[in-house]
Amino acid sequence: MTAGEVTQPKPQGFRIQDLPGKIWSNYVLRRIVRALVIIWLITTIIFFVIRLMPGNAFDLMVADMVVNRNMTEDEAKIRASSLLRINFNRPIGEQYLEYMSNLAKGDLGYSFINNNRTVQELLAQKLPWTLFSVGTSLMISFTLGMLLGMIAAYKRGSWLDHLITNFAAAMDAIPQYIYAIVLVLLLGVIWKIMPVMDMKGVLSPGIKPGFTFEFIWDALMHLRVPAFVYVLSTVGNWALSMKSSTLSTLGEDYVTVARARGLSDSRIITSYVGRNASLPLVTALALSVGFALGGSVVIESVFNYPGIGLELSKSLSNRDYPMLQGIFLITTTSVIFTNLIADLIYGWLDPRIRIAGGE
Amino acid sequence: MMLAQQETNLPPTISIKNLSIDYKAKRGQVQAVRNISFEVDRGEAMALIGESGSGKTTIGLGVVGLLPPTAKIRQGEIIYRRAADGKIVDEIDVLKLNPQQIRQFRWKECAMVFQGALNAFNPVLRISDQFADTASAHNALRGMALKERATEILHMVRLDADRVWRSYPHELSGGMRQRVLIALSLLLEPQLIIMDEPTTALDVLTQRNIMDVLKDLRKNLNFSLIFISHDLSLAAELADKVSTVYAGKIVELGDVYTVFRNPYHPYTIGLIHAVPTLAGRKEDLTSIPGSPPDLINMPTGCKFHPRCPLADDQCKTQEPDLEEIGKGHRVACWKWQTARETLKRFKAS
Repeated sequence: MTAGEVTQPKPQGFRIQDLPGKIWSNYVLRRIVRALVIIWLITTIIFFVIRLMPGNAFDLMVADMVVNRNMTEDEAKIRASSLLRINFNRPIGEQYLEYMSNLAKGDLGYSFINNNRTVQELLAQKLPWTLFSVGTSLMISFTLGMLLGMIAAYKRGSWLDHLITNFAAAMDAIPQYIYAIVLVLLLGVIWKIMPVMDMKGVLSPGIKPGFTFEFIWDALMHLRVPAFVYVLSTVGNWALSMKSSTLSTLGEDYVTVARARGLSDSRIITSYVGRNASLPLVTALALSVGFALGGSVVIESVFNYPGIGLELSKSLSNRDYPMLQGIFLITTTSVIFTNLIADLIYGWLDPRIRIAGGE
Repeated sequence: MMLAQQETNLPPTISIKNLSIDYKAKRGQVQAVRNISFEVDRGEAMALIGESGSGKTTIGLGVVGLLPPTAKIRQGEIIYRRAADGKIVDEIDVLKLNPQQIRQFRWKECAMVFQGALNAFNPVLRISDQFADTASAHNALRGMALKERATEILHMVRLDADRVWRSYPHELSGGMRQRVLIALSLLLEPQLIIMDEPTTALDVLTQRNIMDVLKDLRKNLNFSLIFISHDLSLAAELADKVSTVYAGKIVELGDVYTVFRNPYHPYTIGLIHAVPTLAGRKEDLTSIPGSPPDLINMPTGCKFHPRCPLADDQCKTQEPDLEEIGKGHRVACWKWQTARETLKRFKAS
């Protein structure tokens, strides 16, 4: 402190009115608070969409039951209320509080079509398969895409670069269902490399879930083709993003200086180019993970893979509103949470983000 | 150079002979460096002065083997000599090194401090890590020895070593970063340092500060320096020898006092007159008319003739070679004997 500076008395001890400021000045806490606020906003919006909007889910359910299940309107209303866990006879404020407290307890109501099964129970059953399939595929696709992108950037202008870039662009443009259909046709029907039955579902008949080699192996075998489709349809995007990111990093002064400092190529590729080039991809990866929890509707439908995506398409066609609500809640919160994690990882990867009091 | 004196009888730290470097461009060959030769003695500082695009930086990049893939060294040799205990222990033909050898050569033997050091450090690594990276790439210091050496050289560039050591690059100001880079260049005690416009893009006070640091370092340490700049006054302050580079060629070379007092090449004369002095009158300032030549389609004869008020038919057709006109003073100009007088008369009229 220089002599000219005015010294201010430092605040002594903890004061409650400082708390919001303290939380706000901390990078990690600020992100967490922000994520929680967004989740609260989304659940509130979902409540109002279901409960209050014209043409809302409740009215549609009631109409559906009156028409298709020969219920009276009152019966239908009671049934819909119990399924959605909303008591419509009470004032809106109380309904909202009840809905929120149910959510906090993890109570998402009952599925419309699977009688007497709770939404959370069904989701808990489907979620692991989606996590397993999309998680594995995403990791393969991301790693492969980063590698290809870096190779293309390092060998820019060469035939390898043209090959990777053009293939990546083409593969990125082809929709998933085309890959799925073509693969099933080629592998199962034309070349007969593997039985079509092996591509469907998650397990062969008779395999019991458990922590056994047999189970894991069978699950992986059933994942081969769906994962391949997923990787084919997403790897191009990763490769192209990584290529452009690497190219701009390679042009940075610090890479030239690193070479002038005599650093080994491997050190430059990993810590100087790779680490900086992958920064922008971290956010994209987190978003993908978030959306991945919603499952891949196309892949799971084609391969009859019992994950969240297949459940979503079933619920849509059966107008299973409680189930849809649950899936949307899961998807949105997971996107927000993975974004939060991305922000935290980003702050750890890039010290420039850790502003004011974070460290 | 107190330390240098005992070594003056040794051959130069670096000798560049007939070096020519081209860049491949869509329109044709860019002749960035044309048949350049010079030497830098032990402990000596040589300034390369010229406008942007005159090929100064290309020379520097050539010495450390960092030319972009589009560049091609057409001819010449770069000989670096390492001295120890008053004699030459190693003589390296830089252009003949394989990739692994050139990697070892960089920074250990010849460090290059780049312009625009704002972005010279990896933003995600602490300064300490970047020092450690450099040291371990050359199997040099580690652990406490590294920390001690770093503290020592960070002090030399007048930085708070403890604070800088733990910092990330973005936590330091531009001037501090430039000084850290200069400190880092000293880490492995190279015998040759190339500084490419080390004070460009910094404000005047910071620039002053860095120049003071550099002068200190030259006084206290024994390294040879190639100082690349467009700023004549900085060169005059720091260097022992000056070369004026025009269109990829050295047009005048000599001892710093001689060149500044008695410049012979119209381009050097022009450069000196283009710099304002505190005591000088504004009317004395003149800029050199025209702009640097297109290095792809160069003018015939002397490359400076389109901008030179003295040019005649000989200048337009024949390119002059460097000619020794005094002790260690060489000029490439047909009109050198009369250039200063004639230019003075032009200005008066």
